[in-house]
Amino acid sequence: MDFLLQGLLKALELLRTGDAETFSAVYATLVVSTYSLAVTLILGLPLGFCLGYFDFRFKKQVRVVVDTLLSLPTVFIGLLVYAFFTQRGPLGEWSLLFTLPGIAVGLTILALPVVISLSATAVESMDRQLRVTLISLGANRRQLFLSTLWEARLPILAAALTAYGRVMTEVGIAMMVGGNIKWQTRTITTAIALETNKGEFAMGIALGLVLLMIAFGVNVSVASLRKRY
Amino acid sequence: MGTPLYTIQSLVHAYRGQTVLMIDRLEIPGGAIVGIIGPNGSGKSTFLRLAGFVEKPTAGQISYNGKPAAPFAPEVRHKVSLMPQEPFLMKRSVLGNVSYGLKIRKDFDRLEQRAQAALAWVGLDPHEFIKRPSYALSGGEAQRVALAARLILKPEVLLLDEPTASIDALSAQLIKDAALKVRSEWGTTLIIASHDWQWLYGVCDRVVHLVRGRLMGTGRENVVFGPWEPGANGLWGKVLSDGQRILVQPPPEGLSAAVIDHVAIAPIDQSFPGGDRRVRLSGLITRLALEKASGEILGSVLVANLPFTTALTEKEVHEKELYPGRRVHLLYDVDSIRWF
Repeated sequence: MDFLLQGLLKALELLRTGDAETFSAVYATLVVSTYSLAVTLILGLPLGFCLGYFDFRFKKQVRVVVDTLLSLPTVFIGLLVYAFFTQRGPLGEWSLLFTLPGIAVGLTILALPVVISLSATAVESMDRQLRVTLISLGANRRQLFLSTLWEARLPILAAALTAYGRVMTEVGIAMMVGGNIKWQTRTITTAIALETNKGEFAMGIALGLVLLMIAFGVNVSVASLRKRY
Repeated sequence: MGTPLYTIQSLVHAYRGQTVLMIDRLEIPGGAIVGIIGPNGSGKSTFLRLAGFVEKPTAGQISYNGKPAAPFAPEVRHKVSLMPQEPFLMKRSVLGNVSYGLKIRKDFDRLEQRAQAALAWVGLDPHEFIKRPSYALSGGEAQRVALAARLILKPEVLLLDEPTASIDALSAQLIKDAALKVRSEWGTTLIIASHDWQWLYGVCDRVVHLVRGRLMGTGRENVVFGPWEPGANGLWGKVLSDGQRILVQPPPEGLSAAVIDHVAIAPIDQSFPGGDRRVRLSGLITRLALEKASGEILGSVLVANLPFTTALTEKEVHEKELYPGRRVHLLYDVDSIRWF
C-alpha cells in the first residue's frame, strides 16, 4: 500500500508545483472535451428537439438507431475516425489524425447520441399544453424551440453532464485518433494508461485527482445553476 | 356590414383519420362574445385550438379579417390568444409567466408594473404573487395567472376553453369578470367554451351548439343520443334511468342523435295530455337563465339524468310558477324530431 500513499503525495506535489507535463495533459483534455461538447450541443439539441417534438414517419426506427448508438464501443469509433482521417482515408487531406481537433471529432461522435437521445426524452416528456401555451402567447417557431428547451433545461443539463462525463473519461478514441503524443495529444486518460503501464503511479494519481476535481467542479456549478433557475 | 373577424369555410379536422370537427360555414363578427356549448368530446376544444391558430385544420380555411390565416402567421400571432382548459404555467415566477408574451414581442417597457396591473385585474394581490414560483400556486390561482398572461397582451381575440371548470367559486367569478372587462375596455372578441350554460346565455351575443363535431344551432336544441330500440306503434325509444321513455320516429341509424327543437312545459298538477304522437315526460326545473341576445328566459329541466332546455316568457314563469325545484311536465311532438 506504500506505493499508493507515496504516489498520492507525489501527485499532490506535481499539482502544487504546476508540473508542465501533467498540466499539458489537463489542457489537452479540456480542449478536446470542450470542443466536442460544444459541437455536440449545437448539433444534438436541435436534433433531439426534432426527434422528441415532431411526429414523422419512421420516428420509432430513428429512435431505435439513436438509442443503439448510445452503446457504440469507443474503440470502434476510434477505428472509424482513424480510417477516415488516415492519409489513405477519404478525409486524409484534412490532416486531422494525431491532432486535438481529430480527437474532438471522435468524441463528438461518441457524445452526440447521448445528447440527442436524452434531450429527445426530455422534450417528449414535456406537457403537451406547453406548445399550445407558447403559441397562444405569440411565440414564433424559433421562440417555441428556445422556450421549450428552456422549460426542459434541467433534464437537458443532465444530458449535457452525462455527455461531458463520457468525453472526459474516454480512452480508446483519444489513444487511437490522438496517438498519445507527449505535449501534443496526450490527454488525462491516455496519460494515466501510459504512466500506469510504466509503473509511474504518481502522475497517474495526480491526473486522476484532476479528473475528480473537474467532475466535482462541474457538478457544483450545475447544482448552483439548478438552484438559481 | 363589414368583413367578419372570422370566416370559417368547409372546415374539417381529423385526428388519426377520424373526423372530429366539420363546419360548413361560420362567421364571427369583431367585438362579439360567442359561446360554444356541447357535450364532452363534441369538438369544442378542437374548434378553439383551430380558431386560436394553434393547429392547422386538416382541410378548409379560416380567414381572419378577410385573409386566410394559419398558425405562426404574422397577422394573427400577436392578436389571437387561447387559454386552454388546463392552464400551463412555465417553470418561472408569476412575473416570468405573465410577462413572457411581452418579452417575446420585445416590449420591455414597465414590465413589472404592467404585470402587476394584469394580476390585479384577475383579483390576485400583485405584491403577494408576483415573485412566487408557479409551482406554489393553487389551481384557481394558476388559472388566474394564465389569464393575466393573456390580458397583459390586450389581444384582439381571446378564446377561453372551460375557464371556470374545476376551480373554486371565487376564482371562477373573478375570471368571468375579468373576461368581460376586456371586451368592454378594448372591444376584444371573446369566444368561450363552457359548461356554465347560465353564464354563457347571460353574456353571449350568440351561442353555438357543437354536437359530434358539427354545428347544431343556437344551443336551445335538445339532443338525445342513441342507441334506439324498436317499440310499439312503429315508434322507437330509449329508456331513461327512472323508467321514462323517450319516443322517436324510426331513426336513420341505431346510434343517430335525435334533435327535439320545441318542448312545451307545464306544472305537474296542470292537465297536459299526451297522445300517440305527443310524448309526455316529467322532470325537475334545475335552473333559469336570461338569454342576453333575445331577452327570453331559458329553463333547464332534468328528466332522469337528461337535461332539456326550453324557452319561456317572463309571464309564463310567473303565472305557472316555473321556478327551480318545481316538478313539471314536458311535451314534444314525435313528428317534429330531426335526426343528426
